Amino acid sequence: KSVQHFCFKHVLQTVCALEAVVLRSFGPQGGQVLFTRDTGQAMLSCSGTHILTALHLEHPLARMVVECVRKHSTATGDGSKTFILLLASLLRMIHTIACKEPNVSHTYNSREAAEAATARHLADKLLVFALEEMNSLVAKGVVPYGYCVLWEDFTTETQSLPHTNNHGVQKLLSSFFHTRLGYTHCDLISNLTCRLLQQLKFNNDQPSLALQFVNDNFPALHTPVTGFPISCSRLIEGQVIHRDFFSVWSERSLECFLESLQSLGVSVLFCALKQSPAALASAAQAEMCVVECISEDELSLFVKLSGTTPVSDCSTIEPANIATLTFCHRILLGVHRYDNVLVLCGPGEGQTDQYACAIQDAICMMLTTYGQSGKTVDTSSNSPPYQRGRILPGCVIPAGGIFEILLNHAILHHRHAVSESADIGIDAVPQLLANALLTVPQQIYSNNLRHFLQIQSRILRYLPNQSHTLHFPYKEEEIPVEGVSMLDTGLESVSCKYELLLAVLQCLRSLLRVDMVLCTQTALHARSQRLANISWEGTEDEPDD
Amino acid sequence: MARLVRKSPSLCTDLPLDNDDISTKLNLLRKLLTSCFGPTGKLKQVHNNVGGHVVTTSTSSVLLPAVSSSQPFVNLIKTSILNHVSRFSDCGLFAAALCLALTERAKQSGLGGNVAIGLNQHLLSLCVGYLQRDDCGCKVKLDFCSSQNLMTLARSVISSKPACVLTEQETLHLSRLAVQAFLLTVPCDSPGTVTLGRTVTVPVEGHSVLNSAVFPGLLVDITDAIYPIKAGTLNSNLLCTVLFSASLAGDLSELGDGIIEVHDGADPDSQILDQLLEIGKQVVKDEVKLFLCQKVIHPVLQQYLRSQGIIVIERLGMSLMEPLIQMTGAQPVAALHTTLPVKAYGKVRELTLRQFGSKTMLQLHPPGESAICTMVLCHRNETMLSELKVVCLKTEHVLRLTLREPSALLGGGCTETHLAAYIRHKSMSKAAETALELGCSQTEYHLGTEVFCRSLESVAAALEHNGGNSLIDLTHAHHWILPADVMREYGEESFGFCGCGLVESSPSKRWTYLNTNYTEFSPESLCGNATQQPRVLDSFVAKLNALQVAVETANLALDVRYIIQDVN
Repeated sequence: KSVQHFCFKHVLQTVCALEAVVLRSFGPQGGQVLFTRDTGQAMLSCSGTHILTALHLEHPLARMVVECVRKHSTATGDGSKTFILLLASLLRMIHTIACKEPNVSHTYNSREAAEAATARHLADKLLVFALEEMNSLVAKGVVPYGYCVLWEDFTTETQSLPHTNNHGVQKLLSSFFHTRLGYTHCDLISNLTCRLLQQLKFNNDQPSLALQFVNDNFPALHTPVTGFPISCSRLIEGQVIHRDFFSVWSERSLECFLESLQSLGVSVLFCALKQSPAALASAAQAEMCVVECISEDELSLFVKLSGTTPVSDCSTIEPANIATLTFCHRILLGVHRYDNVLVLCGPGEGQTDQYACAIQDAICMMLTTYGQSGKTVDTSSNSPPYQRGRILPGCVIPAGGIFEILLNHAILHHRHAVSESADIGIDAVPQLLANALLTVPQQIYSNNLRHFLQIQSRILRYLPNQSHTLHFPYKEEEIPVEGVSMLDTGLESVSCKYELLLAVLQCLRSLLRVDMVLCTQTALHARSQRLANISWEGTEDEPDD
Repeated sequence: MARLVRKSPSLCTDLPLDNDDISTKLNLLRKLLTSCFGPTGKLKQVHNNVGGHVVTTSTSSVLLPAVSSSQPFVNLIKTSILNHVSRFSDCGLFAAALCLALTERAKQSGLGGNVAIGLNQHLLSLCVGYLQRDDCGCKVKLDFCSSQNLMTLARSVISSKPACVLTEQETLHLSRLAVQAFLLTVPCDSPGTVTLGRTVTVPVEGHSVLNSAVFPGLLVDITDAIYPIKAGTLNSNLLCTVLFSASLAGDLSELGDGIIEVHDGADPDSQILDQLLEIGKQVVKDEVKLFLCQKVIHPVLQQYLRSQGIIVIERLGMSLMEPLIQMTGAQPVAALHTTLPVKAYGKVRELTLRQFGSKTMLQLHPPGESAICTMVLCHRNETMLSELKVVCLKTEHVLRLTLREPSALLGGGCTETHLAAYIRHKSMSKAAETALELGCSQTEYHLGTEVFCRSLESVAAALEHNGGNSLIDLTHAHHWILPADVMREYGEESFGFCGCGLVESSPSKRWTYLNTNYTEFSPESLCGNATQQPRVLDSFVAKLNALQVAVETANLALDVRYIIQDVN
């Protein structure tokens, strides 16, 4: 069968199966997922993207979903699990609606086709609604309850008290790591990340540039060390070159090269390639240290930090190729010796990798938070200034589903305002979105539903009827939702959440627009089809419906 | 055309700890490892499926790599323990036993995953805090003025490995040697950063363990040397030494894939030989007496050097190079084209011939103070010898760790029972506040504490393999073993000393079985009165790290909720 007609049920089942996997590591009750690579290497992660890609799914639509998640998470570094959750809940709701009223038109010759058409129609509407209204809704309904974490405060103020857990950036990172590493180590790692960001003093105060720098050079900025408890992870001043020193001795062919180096006063030589012991030679006689086999990442960071240009041709060496090192010493990390950033310790290789990935994603998430230089959408001249939709850089909101509850309220509130004039048919779309949003906090408090209702009512009680009278608070003390801050759930970035919502709706739309799947036949197909059946039995523990 | 191979979907396991297969495997692993634990542990034989070498061992660093599982969950735990062992050499079985007991008991207790993890983490920090305190009741300060404690430490490590098959006298002899070798590798008067020397181990099969010895300097095997070394050359003052790391065999292998252009009529072989002899001439001129080479030396060059009265030793191997450089102060020569710089030469004070069975060794004495020594290990057969070698390396490492932190922990299970009693007492005092802080109910808090303490105690109890009972005294909370063949009467005659040998039984003492409930009490410290010396000590640094690794690994295991296996 080379042609599969699009069937809404299949999509729903696929996404629900993905949701079942992801839920295991979602929220405060979630744990980690252990996976093995085809090389046999084991790896632990709570990262949604990692989990989904590791499944190696066969179903083309599932692969499409995974691809969307991957794209979203490389862009923002956050929200891959919520992505699947939202998508599944939207699909379920669309399914219910589509089943109820499939007879929108009689031109469809089967019930399935009619359902699919309704679903497609709804998905289109959802995206349109989101693109048009969401920004202003978030700006009006959510942003006033959050506050702005100022980058300048972070880089200057907390320098003196690096261990306090009070600053917004720290809280933001801490709750991010909570979702990634489990809560035992999130404080430790977020402390480290904060100090890493603080200690890299930059000439420019532009946060996005600084974060971009860390993002680009992260491989060279950390050193994984296995066999120690995680608490041994620490920050080290200087750059770690992951190589042993070689003291080398003599030969004629390079003498000329070394002489010219000597005349420039070089005492440490870095090279990217392995040097054969016999051919390398005379550096030791010239009292020169040679560090060879430096990885490209490290060398490029060094080049950036020191402002030198690497030598490509040995015959022409200029002073421009020379950097001054303020210090250079070996540090002993376990059994490896390093020249002298961030040392990540963990009991096994998989874990240090996990920490490294999490930190890199956190940097990416911060970049999204600060990178947006205030997207202005709703700036039509007739709207009063306080209604202008702006998500400021660095805007955060208490974590734990507050964003979703607030946005749910904002959408419903907005709908009431609109529905007085417009017809009732439009209603369904925002209502649907609002309901789908609520599944996120419901899942967070899945072990204790009473808790969820308490929080929701506490927030809603606080909400004023006209939100535009509120001022935008800049200080943490002014968080209006005091009932929530008591929970100490940390913070999350508003712009990341906003991006996530748009990404989910885009994915939903492209998913529902698929109408036929063409499978091109290959010889391999039969074999993998059989394997597919085996593994799906394993994954589909609770195929809804 | 590029061939595209489709990836097959991964295998998934939901909630691995609830999975019967995995639980069985973990239980099996725990039984396997705890049965090896301690001086009376049972030995394991490791065979491979194609026959050949059989290893008898009870050491975690040998045993764990041999345990291979298709289950990544098991491998996760295994890798953690192995990483600990590779860093600290000691307490691998302790870490494994504690980790697996903790995982199993936490699962059985029915505590929610995250609650159990939070509690374990909290209790671990209590333990670590207590162990690092100066008034910790299960810690002994090491006194470097006497070798007593170091000997005890070494003896505890050696005697905990029954696969070496040593008598009491042999154990004592080896501990003495281990301490002696350790002391030799600590440089006496070097200002600035102290670099520890090293001990080179030479195994000799077929001799009594009591023939093992430690020598300052290095022993080089010259069994294959074709000519007898004249006694006259051995005793002159400070022998000038040259050390080559490049091959002197005259081959061109080092050129790699390069192309050599040879002029018509030229003979590369003879030219290279000429070059080699050129080196020989220079060496003779510079009055070198000892000519060492990591690799092979061309026979003609050897012949020439010997005819000039130079002692030639080839094929030293990579492992001896660094100690040789440290000891002689020579710079290894890697290139053959240049004249040998004067500073490349090193010094050796004198040479002595040593005979160990069929092995003839040449002892190179260091020119001055040097932190290099050689330990010759003898044992009756190969299996025991290889285990002994592993044990001696561990002992050396454990002794070195004392330099980092001059403390040791009481052995014989006393640290574990003492810690458990301390945790019980400590956690009782502020139960309500701590439970609130950790976000769990008081019942959960007590349950979690019980799981943690019972796991610690089960490790202490695992030291007994002959059906005896483990007990704890209710004053110092030390560990006592009541052998199986003694009548169940709490009399003074039943127990002599506790596990570590620090506490002697007295009529006023009260005991209880380890797996029974006892009312919590604050365990008394014994460090004040030094009437008794502990008989069993464990490395402080290694055990502390093992404790942390064990709890963290257990937490990790409890945290894993899903397994995805890539089967491509």
